[in-house]
Amino acid sequence: MGEGMEAAPNTEVLDEQFKEFIQALQSAVSRAMPHIKDDPKVVDKAIEDCKEILDVVMEGNVSEWLK
Amino acid sequence: MFNDKIELKDFEKTDPEYQELLRRVLAIQADCEIGGPNLYVKDILPNAPRKVDQLIVARTAAEEMDHYRKMARLAGDMGVDVSYVLSRSNQERYVEAFRGTITTWEDFSVFGFLIDRVGRFQLEEFIGASYQPLARVVEDPQVIREEEGHIDFGTNCTAECAAKGGEAKERIQKSVDYWYTKGLDMFGKSQSYRSERYRYWGLKRRTNAEAREQYTREVNALIEKMGLQIPDPNKGRLYT
Repeated sequence: MGEGMEAAPNTEVLDEQFKEFIQALQSAVSRAMPHIKDDPKVVDKAIEDCKEILDVVMEGNVSEWLK
Repeated sequence: MFNDKIELKDFEKTDPEYQELLRRVLAIQADCEIGGPNLYVKDILPNAPRKVDQLIVARTAAEEMDHYRKMARLAGDMGVDVSYVLSRSNQERYVEAFRGTITTWEDFSVFGFLIDRVGRFQLEEFIGASYQPLARVVEDPQVIREEEGHIDFGTNCTAECAAKGGEAKERIQKSVDYWYTKGLDMFGKSQSYRSERYRYWGLKRRTNAEAREQYTREVNALIEKMGLQIPDPNKGRLYT
């Protein structure tokens, strides 16, 4: 950080929150991709997980995430 | 021309115009990155044709979210909070192309083919930028590689729809007609004072007109190769 330069409030917290969202999505997709042809249950669960995470992100209720 | 290389610690010492342009471009970039998923996640994630497509939609959204995160971090470190773009409605987006919703697979495909391609052009503008933290983000091959992945997927899906012929081809042509106009407009006005100032301060490389011309050449060749009609580049345009 520069002298006297202050980051915007919650920069770090939101950055970490986003990393968590992204990692959870990527993990769900990676878990399901190898089973696309042989295990519909794993795939359906991963898609459901992705929907849940993305619903939260698209809702954009930032103040809730900061609690 | 401004040839200095600026780090975060130097930012406050830079010219106010430089600061204003940088804050502005980061806010717009962050808005566009999160604006994409806001267009398509709601309807396309549950309704993509195959399960593998649903997973690709989710992965695409995750990668765009990561691009948002990187831009928001750059802005946040400079004291600019861009988190307001997370909760705004699509109608409030800075860029017109992100103000609607995507409800069909054809539109999702062409969005990747044409609009993510504009996104790649815009990210490439920052390669070698005077603001080093921004240059480092886009020079990390991951960001451009991910964007290219979205473009390739969209291009392949568009070509597949076109190759089916009949109604499928008509539907994809309609989507190309719609997004082609939006894509060309995303480069802004050809005679733009602000665009010149971005170049003066080393924050962008090409004029709006140059970038649009290169983009047009690239996409026209692909549209023709798919056996589709190149839309009228002047029809429905907001910025020329």
